[in-house]
Amino acid sequence: MLIRRLFFVILALALLITVAAAQDEPQYAGLDMDLSGITIKMANIGGGTYEAMYESIPIFEEATGATVEIVALLDGFAIDQKLKVDFATGAADYDVAWDHTSFVAQYTPFLLPLQDHFSEEELAPFSPAILDAATIDGNLYLIPRHADISPIHYRKDLYEDEAIAAAYMDATGEALEVPTTLEQIDHQARFFVENGHSTYGYTLAGRDEALNGRFYEMVFASGGAMFDENWEPVFNDEIGVAVAEMLHGWYRDGIIPADTTSLVWDGVAAYFCNGDTAIKLEWYGWYAYFQDPNNCPAISENFGLARGFTGLSLGGDAVRPSGWAGAHAFSVPATAPNPQAGIQLIKFLSSERVAYEEAQLGYLPTRDDVWDRVIDDAAASDRSLDRERLELAKLQVAEDFKTPPLIAEWIPFSNILYPKVQAIMLGDIGAQEGLDQAAAETRELMADAGYYD
Amino acid sequence: MTINRPGKTKDEAPQQAARSNRLEAGTFPYMLILPSIAVILLVVGFPLLYSLYVSFTPYELLRPNSLNFTLGKALRNYEKLLNDAIFWRSLGNTIIFLAISVNLSYLLSLALSQLLARVTAGQSILRTLLMVPMMFAPILVGMQFRWFFNASVGLVNNFLYSLGLIQAQGQIAWLVDVPLGMFSIIVASVWMNIPVLTIILLAGTLSLPAETFEAAEVDGASGWQKFRFITFPLLAPFSYIALTIMSLDIARAFDIVRIMTDGGPAHRTEMLWTYITRLSIENTKFGLGSAMSWVTVSLSVLFTLYFFRQLVKARIVR
Repeated sequence: MLIRRLFFVILALALLITVAAAQDEPQYAGLDMDLSGITIKMANIGGGTYEAMYESIPIFEEATGATVEIVALLDGFAIDQKLKVDFATGAADYDVAWDHTSFVAQYTPFLLPLQDHFSEEELAPFSPAILDAATIDGNLYLIPRHADISPIHYRKDLYEDEAIAAAYMDATGEALEVPTTLEQIDHQARFFVENGHSTYGYTLAGRDEALNGRFYEMVFASGGAMFDENWEPVFNDEIGVAVAEMLHGWYRDGIIPADTTSLVWDGVAAYFCNGDTAIKLEWYGWYAYFQDPNNCPAISENFGLARGFTGLSLGGDAVRPSGWAGAHAFSVPATAPNPQAGIQLIKFLSSERVAYEEAQLGYLPTRDDVWDRVIDDAAASDRSLDRERLELAKLQVAEDFKTPPLIAEWIPFSNILYPKVQAIMLGDIGAQEGLDQAAAETRELMADAGYYD
Repeated sequence: MTINRPGKTKDEAPQQAARSNRLEAGTFPYMLILPSIAVILLVVGFPLLYSLYVSFTPYELLRPNSLNFTLGKALRNYEKLLNDAIFWRSLGNTIIFLAISVNLSYLLSLALSQLLARVTAGQSILRTLLMVPMMFAPILVGMQFRWFFNASVGLVNNFLYSLGLIQAQGQIAWLVDVPLGMFSIIVASVWMNIPVLTIILLAGTLSLPAETFEAAEVDGASGWQKFRFITFPLLAPFSYIALTIMSLDIARAFDIVRIMTDGGPAHRTEMLWTYITRLSIENTKFGLGSAMSWVTVSLSVLFTLYFFRQLVKARIVR
């Protein structure tokens, strides 16, 4: 009798543990609608580990009866161009489109507002800062997928060498510590190069919107801005000029590579991976690549991460940590043949379960519940940086997350500004003159777009 | 067979048949080419005329309502272009690129074709090898040469460094410095152009009459004299055809420029094609981009007319 009771108690306990464990598992969403016979078309970002997420789509198809057809797999800039052309020609016949906080303002007349299709409960887990960036004129156009923000990456060996630290103290009168300000980066980068400790002191992306973003970041971290409250360009003030002159000085003196103006993310990563650069401010997404000794023997286990720098001190009290940021996301075109089905697919792809699986690849989550999970997972790692990295990223997303101005003119504006910043870096034109020219062209752009009376 | 129609005399019938034949002979060829003309008008003519219309409007890709023609503002895009320093720079770069790339490709192809024409063994293998660059899409050629000229890990700098000609691997920024950026793009373009030009010139060389050369040999002409006074003039029609094709086809270099430098840095290698793409697609200024495309098309037409005139002259001389 006692044995029988004991058996039932154990059985009940086992059931309770199973149920509790199941509840603790991250859950899918968007599977509660019958979509039999519907084909949902998606235009997606592709390449690298972006495509791993799409491997979960068969689960959605099986549960809802829908068929998902991926009609495009392109890189971010290529898909931006596809969306522009498709929207303009009325050819956006897909139900879900890749989108980004930096690009979405261009497309808003062609997108379905989503706030009425997602409940407060469904939106609650997402970072408020990212949802703000996804909302334009009160309309929610994006459901975030993963976030992007940059910490400082530095070579640890340079900061742990007592002889280098002593020499730095002698040369500058400052202690050699992981930099927290742009001026410290300037001093340290120059010291490392001039004394042969590193081929380059700093590396940054030097072309396209990437350079524009990095310039924007240095300016706002120094208390400056691209535009004032009336959308007048103000990046040619003394802060903008100081940042541009610093970039020129770095190029002229070989602190940054000679081909900086050809570099985008992969090129910047290559310099750091090879151990050729001491410091850089770069996206988190390269972390696993850098830690792999097969890829980067020079810096694997030999680099640290720190919060983004604060800007130049001439900004006074207005300086703040850098944090040019954005989020990959999903949108629904206004011309989608099956918008409700597309929304269900977005609910699935942005669910806790799918977001958690993608975060395990190294992407920064946009949901708080996923943050907690990946931080707990990282705590089990032998490498303390795994956890520190995620805690730092969570802090940056919560406090430093700053998108570019959410205006349709951001990309055309970038195409005006970045070549001028390049010209200043290369010494083709002076900083003030170059930024003044860019400001005049920007003003014309904004006037044409109807920003001024 | 003759069919006599009622009411017609025997004399009238042949006259009418002859008139009918003349009429048919006059219109029939046009009837035959009518479908082609219709297709060309639909596929080429309509888009061209439509883009001409768009070039007189402030049309922006993502602002459908901006496709408005206003007489007072019709020339605004063209005025903007005239005052746009980057447009003039890209035009200058395009002309430099076109002139050097086409002429250099031609000279090298001419030399190669003369060498190939004299090869007695393994000519088919050499011709096949020659065609290898044609098998690559321009975008791949761009990627390949971007890697060759990469400052930090590129083949060219690595080679120079191993020879001790430069002190550091990243010392020469081929795709950045002036005029190395343009030079690098031209090298890639020439590499891609040479096969097709060589094949045309080789075909021309092999078709030249042997008697002329035999007569020159009897007269004691040297190899250079034979080339200078026989081969080169007789090849003129082939040369003009090749140069015309190349001048029109050179826009394929867009992919190369886009991949290698994307017109940068700081517009140093900006060409009309990259600037048109930036304006039209990236900046969504389709009206402005169309205006610039029309300027480009007009220039291409002028080039083509010039080459065709030269071709006609060369044929007359021949």
